[in-house]
Amino acid sequence: MGKDASALDAVSFFGIRHHGPGSAASLVRALDEQKPVAVLIEGPADASALLPMLASPAMKPPVALLCYPEDDPSQASFWPFAEFSPEYQATLWAMANGVPVEFIDLPSTARFVEKPAKPTDASPPAETVETAAEMVETAAETAETAEAAAQEPEAPAAALPPALPPEFRDPVGVLAEAAGYEDGESWWADLIEQNPAPGPIFSAIADAMNALRADLAHLPEFEAKREAHMRLAIAAARKRHEGPLAVVCGAWHVPALQGAVAQKDDRALLKGLPRKKAAMTWAPWTMPRLAFAHGYGAGVDAPGWCAHVWHTRARRDGASRWLTRIAYILREKGHLVSTAALIEAERLALALAAIRSRPGAGFEELREAAVACLFGGEALLWKTIEDTLLLGNEVGEIPADAPLAPLIEDLQRHQKAARLKPEALERELAIDLRSESGLFRSTLLHRLLVLGVPWGRLLDKGGSRGTFRERWMLAWEPEYAVQLVEKLVYGATIEQAASAYLAEQLGQAAALDALAELIRTAITASLPVAASRGLALFEERAARSSNCPEMLAAIPPLADIVRYGDARVSASTSSSASTSGLGQLGVLLQRLIVEAAINLPHAARELDAEAAGEMTERISAAHAGIRLIEAPQDILEAWFRGLEAVLGDARATPRVAGRAAHILYEAEALAADEAVTLLERRLSPGTPVVDAAGFLEGFFSASAMRLAHDEGLRRAVDGWLTGLDEDDFTAHLPLLRRVFSGLDSMERKRLLAAALGRGPSLPAHLVPAPDGGAGWQAHLNILHPLLTGNNADG
Amino acid sequence: MSDLLRLPAEQTYALELEALARGDDANKPENWKLSPQSVLTYLLGGKAGDGTVISPKYVGRRRLMETAVATLATDRALLLLGVPGTAKSWVSEHLAAAITGDSTMLIQCTAGTDENQIRYGWNYAQLLAKGPSEEALVPTPLFRAMQDGKLCRLEELTRMGSDVQDTLITVLSEKMMPVAELNSAIYARRGFNVIATANNRDKGVNELSSALKRRFNVVVLPLPDDMDEEVAIVARRVSEMAVSLSLPVPKNVQEEISRVLTIFRELRAGATADGKTTLKTPSGSLSTAEAIATVVGGLSQAAWFNDGSLTAQELAANMVGAIIKDPVQDKAVLEEYLETVLKKRSGYSAYYAALNEAV
Repeated sequence: MGKDASALDAVSFFGIRHHGPGSAASLVRALDEQKPVAVLIEGPADASALLPMLASPAMKPPVALLCYPEDDPSQASFWPFAEFSPEYQATLWAMANGVPVEFIDLPSTARFVEKPAKPTDASPPAETVETAAEMVETAAETAETAEAAAQEPEAPAAALPPALPPEFRDPVGVLAEAAGYEDGESWWADLIEQNPAPGPIFSAIADAMNALRADLAHLPEFEAKREAHMRLAIAAARKRHEGPLAVVCGAWHVPALQGAVAQKDDRALLKGLPRKKAAMTWAPWTMPRLAFAHGYGAGVDAPGWCAHVWHTRARRDGASRWLTRIAYILREKGHLVSTAALIEAERLALALAAIRSRPGAGFEELREAAVACLFGGEALLWKTIEDTLLLGNEVGEIPADAPLAPLIEDLQRHQKAARLKPEALERELAIDLRSESGLFRSTLLHRLLVLGVPWGRLLDKGGSRGTFRERWMLAWEPEYAVQLVEKLVYGATIEQAASAYLAEQLGQAAALDALAELIRTAITASLPVAASRGLALFEERAARSSNCPEMLAAIPPLADIVRYGDARVSASTSSSASTSGLGQLGVLLQRLIVEAAINLPHAARELDAEAAGEMTERISAAHAGIRLIEAPQDILEAWFRGLEAVLGDARATPRVAGRAAHILYEAEALAADEAVTLLERRLSPGTPVVDAAGFLEGFFSASAMRLAHDEGLRRAVDGWLTGLDEDDFTAHLPLLRRVFSGLDSMERKRLLAAALGRGPSLPAHLVPAPDGGAGWQAHLNILHPLLTGNNADG
Repeated sequence: MSDLLRLPAEQTYALELEALARGDDANKPENWKLSPQSVLTYLLGGKAGDGTVISPKYVGRRRLMETAVATLATDRALLLLGVPGTAKSWVSEHLAAAITGDSTMLIQCTAGTDENQIRYGWNYAQLLAKGPSEEALVPTPLFRAMQDGKLCRLEELTRMGSDVQDTLITVLSEKMMPVAELNSAIYARRGFNVIATANNRDKGVNELSSALKRRFNVVVLPLPDDMDEEVAIVARRVSEMAVSLSLPVPKNVQEEISRVLTIFRELRAGATADGKTTLKTPSGSLSTAEAIATVVGGLSQAAWFNDGSLTAQELAANMVGAIIKDPVQDKAVLEEYLETVLKKRSGYSAYYAALNEAV
């Protein structure tokens, strides 16, 4: 025991902040000073073999170490590394100085939990939440769990459980907050400003951690195991290496690793860890996914700011560069930002720092100065550039010789389970959604479509909605594998990746109708997380939008989901989440209908021919959707009120008004005699011919056959047509043809007959002459050879 | 006790300012009476060095006040922006009182303000008697603030014409004002600066030219974040106004205020109070001041036409007036709000009916 304690002097503990550029810079300087013979890093011990690859020149951070049980990639854990991560810099330092570098944390296998659920199906939601919460808690410090990775911040499972104290996640951040800082990096920078030597900083941090941990009543079991493993690994490393050792770990662990604990106790604690076989590889990562807000438990608030701090660590003009970056982003968005304004902003930032008694302008000072000087005080404008500025969009690269990507493995597993072979030649596949295997196949194909892998092409698209059949055309192309590797950043299984990718697209979709289509896709591909995120987004946008055409266009896909969505769901095992989602969607759809109806009169005003045509089609499609869901009476009434308002609005485009009248008439919200009066009035001589024709087209273009049956309507139209003078009639001939082009010849005949008032019989001047029959035979005898070219004389 | 209706801030809070000045050993910018830290304490409340309690003058975000004070400590001018009733003038007065001990260098900008009221005017009797001379010149508050190294306050900057506004450009960037008639100029002493206030949602104002705008640091003062705080402000002001207008205040006024404010806050925030439903916002500002006017209007209607009982009926007409500023868009916004939110909410059926009727 005593020997151990004295020997610890040769080990330097560097308590770092995960993804903290400040501690990375201090760490590199400290390593240069200490010159250790080996570097030990907090990370899964079984992945040490992959560490040298991290220093490969082909490896461009951000990248993530990815470990998963060989048979179940959905349990993958990620350890992301950015350029400014101290762990990454420590690895680079070790490789450059030719000293061994090892991971010392619990092996990745310890994070795997036994999951009874089938890997491919979405497990029941309650369980998902629980496991995710548990995994986030255990893995929060360095690793991002697959669940968390696959879900967007709104998803409940991705949020950190409130029970996890913040000092676990980011103890340095807690210290900074206690010192009145919002941003841990600015605090660190100020700390270095006051203590230029790197050694004292790390001992000061260790002291602070001692104080923080002093009132910690109970260490979660998993954390205790991790620290036991690290202690044992450090002891083992001391036996192997002669000379000073460097331990790079989260600041939080330093007191525990320095403490003297009998190795026997540590070993006892580590008994019975799960021993599953783990597969591991590197995966490209993205800057935004390093952010805490993107569901990464150990993430930072602003990776963009961290990268900036790292890149300007050796410069004095960091503040100017940061402000200049803001200016560039603003200019790209079309705002005018002068150089003089940047100078003023920097001066204000310095004045603010002085008021707050800080040695330099940090993140907060620069932000507030930018808002006051560059944004005209509008904090909202800051929000619009926040993503670009703070998250960045860099994507990492991995060397070509990195081990195989889990998404491809996952696909192979699914292909086996679905008994579908990838074949280059086209093959048709009919699927019955009522059978479990059919639904499984269909879901797989739909999810691949989401991921941009059109292995299957859905034939009769749209036609099959509401039935239980789908017809697919299958053909595999080699480049699909490349697509899957690129999508690795979204998740390690097809389901996770599809869900996260779709969630991202949802975030980018601007229009309501596009959003509605994506929600439909999410439900068809049975991705409940993406679907509920989509619904939340949709609700928000729908409330803000006053774009009536968009709302109308969003009604049919949503109605489709409400009506047929559970056809897919009820057959599958997971249900409660999706059905409650559908219930929510029903309410949302009803609200959307009411909103669209309220905005309808305004949107129907003064449209040109093209817009009017689009609008009428959208109204009809929306009406079809509303009928499909059998909307409750009050919603239906609100919708009809909207249509009536269009009808009563003098400025409404006639064609749209015509369609509104038609829908009301068909739905018997407009009585027959009212319709006749309306039509007569709209087609009366006082109305400009153009308007009257537009109204007529709107009213009848979908259902000209009405005229054949409805005498009152027919009389009104007939009266208008016969009253037109010749020029007007010719001018509107194309329009009239359009109205009646939907009729086949039989229907036209019946309409004509009806128009001429004779029922099925022909009008007088068209009736054949009494001797017509005989005469016709004589004519035929002469005509037949001429027509067939079989001339008897020739 | 003074018989004046209202005293300037530096006299009302003279004791606090003195206490702060006594215990203030931090660095002060030149010609400042207090250090920036003490100015912040004066504005946000706290304790002076000798333990004197300082009452808060501004209830809201500390960071905004920090930016405002830091701005004045540099030589940039400060522009306080916000909808009516967000304490812009109040903050401006107290900043001037704390920093220079004089909040009376004030120019109220209106559409009728001309250059003579900004730069300097002439005493015509003197001008005729002596010709252009120092004695004939009548200094404006801005002129005197430059001479004395004090803060000049410009109220409602955007209400005066753009050409007059631009007179300020030279003053703000070169800190001097030429007096062409005397072939001389006055140069601002250290400590001189300008605090302007403006309304960012008003119509019929003259936009700041970008040349002038970039000489200001802008701080936008928001509406109160907290519902209870706002209810208290409204209730206090309403009862004060009711007393001065001799209107009876019925018992239920508190409940009605919180209902009216709930509707106002939801509409201006664009989301329901529970955060579950997003809404469209009308074009009006629906500020605290407008909520006060609405309730007072309702009280007046109740007193004169409804035997003093205040119901949704009386308030609705006033609310519609506050909410619908644009007859087409705002009407749709309100209708949507009524149909999608208020219709189903318990306790609001009277408002639903009354507003629907009034729309």
